[in-house]
Amino acid sequence: MGAGIHFFGIRHLSPAGAYYLREYLEEKKPKLVLIEGPSDLNDQIENMTRPETRPPIAILAYTSEAPVRTILYPFAEYSPEYQAIVWCREHKTDCRFMDLPSEAFLAIPYRDDIDEEEGEEGRQSVYQGLDRAAKEDGYDMFWERTLEHVDSTEGYRQGVYTFGAKLRKLTEGKESDWMETLVREACMRRQIRLAVREGFLPEEIVVVTGSYHVEGLKNWAEDAMSEEEFLALPRVEASHTLMPYSYYRLSTRAGYGAGNKAPAYYALLWEAFLYQEPLRASYSYLSRIAGYQRENGTPVSSAQTIEAVRLASSLAQLRGSKAPSLRDLRDAAVTLMGEGRFSAVNLAVADTEIGTTIGALPDGVSRTSIQEDFYRQLKEWKLEKYRDLTAQELALDLRENRNVISEKSAYLDLYRSFFLHRLRILKISFVDWQQVTQDNATWAERWIVRWTPEAEIELVEAALKGDTIAQAASFAMKERVETAQNMSGIASVIEDAFTCGMAEAVRYALTALQAIAVDAASLEELALTASRLSVVIQYGSIRRLDASPLIPILTQIFYRACLLLPGACVCDDNGSKGMQAAMEQLNKVDLAHDFLDHEAWLLALREIANRDDLNTKLSGYAAAILLERGEMDTEHLKLEVGRRLSKGIPADLGAGWFEGLAMKNRYALIARLSLWEHLDEYLNTLDDEEFKRALVFLRRAFADFSPAEKDSIAENLGEIWGFHAQQVSEAINREVSQEEQELLAGLDDFDFDI
Amino acid sequence: MKQEVLRLPAEQLFQKEIDALIAAEKDPVPAGWKMSPRSVRTYICGGKVGKTVITPKYIGHERLVEIAIATLVTDRALLLIGEPGTAKSWLSEHLTAAINGDSTKVIQGTAGTTEEQIRYSWNYAMLIAKGPSLDAMLKSPVFHAMETGSIARVEEISRCASEVQDALISILSEKRISVPELGLEVPAQKGFSIIATANTRDKGVNDMSAALKRRFNIVVLPSPANLHAEMEIVRTRVEQLSGNLDLNAKLPDEDVVEKVCTIFRELRNGETLDRSQKVKGPSGVLSTAEAISLLCNSMALAGSFGKGDITDEDLAAGLQGAVVKEEEKDIVIWKEYLDNVMKKRGSRWTGLYKACKELNR
Repeated sequence: MGAGIHFFGIRHLSPAGAYYLREYLEEKKPKLVLIEGPSDLNDQIENMTRPETRPPIAILAYTSEAPVRTILYPFAEYSPEYQAIVWCREHKTDCRFMDLPSEAFLAIPYRDDIDEEEGEEGRQSVYQGLDRAAKEDGYDMFWERTLEHVDSTEGYRQGVYTFGAKLRKLTEGKESDWMETLVREACMRRQIRLAVREGFLPEEIVVVTGSYHVEGLKNWAEDAMSEEEFLALPRVEASHTLMPYSYYRLSTRAGYGAGNKAPAYYALLWEAFLYQEPLRASYSYLSRIAGYQRENGTPVSSAQTIEAVRLASSLAQLRGSKAPSLRDLRDAAVTLMGEGRFSAVNLAVADTEIGTTIGALPDGVSRTSIQEDFYRQLKEWKLEKYRDLTAQELALDLRENRNVISEKSAYLDLYRSFFLHRLRILKISFVDWQQVTQDNATWAERWIVRWTPEAEIELVEAALKGDTIAQAASFAMKERVETAQNMSGIASVIEDAFTCGMAEAVRYALTALQAIAVDAASLEELALTASRLSVVIQYGSIRRLDASPLIPILTQIFYRACLLLPGACVCDDNGSKGMQAAMEQLNKVDLAHDFLDHEAWLLALREIANRDDLNTKLSGYAAAILLERGEMDTEHLKLEVGRRLSKGIPADLGAGWFEGLAMKNRYALIARLSLWEHLDEYLNTLDDEEFKRALVFLRRAFADFSPAEKDSIAENLGEIWGFHAQQVSEAINREVSQEEQELLAGLDDFDFDI
Repeated sequence: MKQEVLRLPAEQLFQKEIDALIAAEKDPVPAGWKMSPRSVRTYICGGKVGKTVITPKYIGHERLVEIAIATLVTDRALLLIGEPGTAKSWLSEHLTAAINGDSTKVIQGTAGTTEEQIRYSWNYAMLIAKGPSLDAMLKSPVFHAMETGSIARVEEISRCASEVQDALISILSEKRISVPELGLEVPAQKGFSIIATANTRDKGVNDMSAALKRRFNIVVLPSPANLHAEMEIVRTRVEQLSGNLDLNAKLPDEDVVEKVCTIFRELRNGETLDRSQKVKGPSGVLSTAEAISLLCNSMALAGSFGKGDITDEDLAAGLQGAVVKEEEKDIVIWKEYLDNVMKKRGSRWTGLYKACKELNR
């Protein structure tokens, strides 16, 4: 092929490719190996092969300016590119990346799958065709059966080359990224030509590239990107880093380019190549599943494992392949170890196929500025001992510590809290906020802190959002403000910004909130927003932030809620739940702040309590709030009960009102004997049908009363009816008479759930 | 040629296909088998050999067929589990027909099945007259299968009492059967295996012991995956059956098959095909097999009492019988389905809806 240069087409993440590529290099003993990868990132090659480096790892390149765009090159141990790099180091051979520089790559106009290494869109139809042709097997299995089990270097090389060439022929020019492909290939040809000009003989060079590109690189001698063209490529400012990667992430990026669905299984295949035992992967796979099942309490015998191996081999033969493919193995495991049901082994399968392997890099290699910032702050806030695999609890006291002199140590816990909250906003799994204690002590916080390599990966990814933790958190919050659908979404950002101690983000979110505060919003929305802002204003001082800019907007929103509330109380019972919560929230807000218009709030409540045309439950609830606040006297309540529960009003409405009334300050209600007298009078006025209907609602009203509360009510009623507690107890505990039993039996037909 | 027997065994019905497959065999044939595993797959899943078209016997889920065949290649016993009417027995019959050319070594598992029926029993007259001898012995299908190196079928294994099931354990693990009365040990020939079927609805009646389950490779046969697959199955089977039964009626057209399959699937899955509406399910299973027999039934009605075309009335009568198994409960469910789902389906369904409604006045 092509003027002496040795081309080796590969599929990314292919164990067979990795193994045969090594064999091939061993045979050709090249002086230079060129690999498909950004040509400006050669400095990472050194780090990739340091003794402490353990794949999976990835090279991440990203633009410095927002909107941040990325390209990611993941490598597993069985990546042919990675093995080529390792081979070169072992044999002191020159090794370079030759693809478009990352700065130019990132300047290519945005496509949906921009972070895929290979443009997939156009090839998709071919893959889908293959999927259909392979029937239940799918494209992945087709590939594994056809190429991963090939047993010679030349067989693999030719097979992959043919596949790539055919694929290219089918899709040439049809893809949206075709132009991009052409540019990339021209650039790769330029790199080959440069190497030859440098003095390498063509036959001393091995080019490792995706099989698709082999055909496009062959005419490097005749046609390559000129120096002017290369310099004229549009570029953007970009940074890059090496980062640890995980099998889990590889599996979620499945597709042709940058991932595969079963990385842990592919690692087993790689191992099998190293040991030169083709069936080793099958044995390991099935033994691992058996082992996992045993560990998790499902006995699996060795005999079953042996039979599973036999079944898998026999399935492979049926398909005409020598070694079982992943699908054969999985089906065998389901049949033998799961009694024919996938659900019985699915966890074991996930563990064996995907696994939890995470890569590692030598200290200091993967240091984006955000990581440096993270470690610096860890040290500064004396949190280094929490960087540990075991979960530890961290209790913070946000108040000033008056026993120390420096400002920094006086507020150490507060600064820690800011730091941890910022990590929480960035969704870095190092921290886990235990929100439970927030209600009873505003100055105490509990965190569960646990360091995992996954957290490191998340941290590197956060580098896309900013250079420091604070910047990244601020960026994340801005994003949330921009995508927020409604007021309460923005209010939650304000709340978060306060917990993070980020005044600038508060200002930004506040501006956004003011901009939409005049827009129409539902009452629930207003109440939620008000309650979030109220929390910030109440407790902002503990975080040493000035919450006063929030006061005008809270006043505005609260007043609007007061005006809208009576109108919003026209709703059905389903809607009343949300409304009731909103009223509760607004009442709390009103009680918490002196600067609010209390008159407006009470006016709204009175209107709701007095009007008959609103949802009766909410009217009752408004009355309950007024009662609790001492704004309604007994006389008024008596009147109201009489009016609401009078004969003319339909039973369900009366009972609904009572239900609303009973939702609050129960002890006060229970203690008011006159209330129960009214209820008794009311029930006496009902006829049988009305009574049954009312029963349903009353039952619901009392459903969440505690037994003790119910007892007190029963005592009240007993008093009204002239029974003593003693008599009641006797009446209840005496044997049920025949007549009563019949009555009870009659109740069976009564549907309590109307 | 007119067929006198009500139901021929599979190997005779599909004699031509089996012969063609054997004649064209290219792959190695396992000991005791009549054709290679791949040919067995072609026989079951359909295809073409030379000029002979092989009709598909089991549609959908080709992979499960492969697992079943591969199991038998490894001389393991095979257990097919599934809801009633998911073609367990059908698949087991065709597997043995293709592998051995003989699907008749069957034990029907019932509450009355005894251990003797699994192993061997005696012709008592002869036993008393001559004493124990090979002549006086009545060999079970399993015994025969062991001697000849072929496959025996045990239907509805979970209907048998546990001690009867457990008689299979020694046969499957030792692969020999001993006759202490004659001082005999009969080893199984290569190719011997057992295909058992069990019904998920019988779960808990006579649960299989772990020891026995371990000796089987278990394949769960699901209901057809989608409407299209189910229609295909129904159409193929109705065609074959009506040929056998001389029903004197035209085959149901696409529209009728689709309606029946739609109704069955919706009631079975508890929701409409577009998943927009929940539907209550009746007490019966409403399997594909029932859909097939319903259509044959409707054809018989049309052929014997009508003009030979399946009318909506014929179909309605069949549906009524299939859906309403327990009068009280099912009739409510069926009426609800008619009014909530079928009525709103538009003009194509109006005729059927009216006919069904008529029966439920």
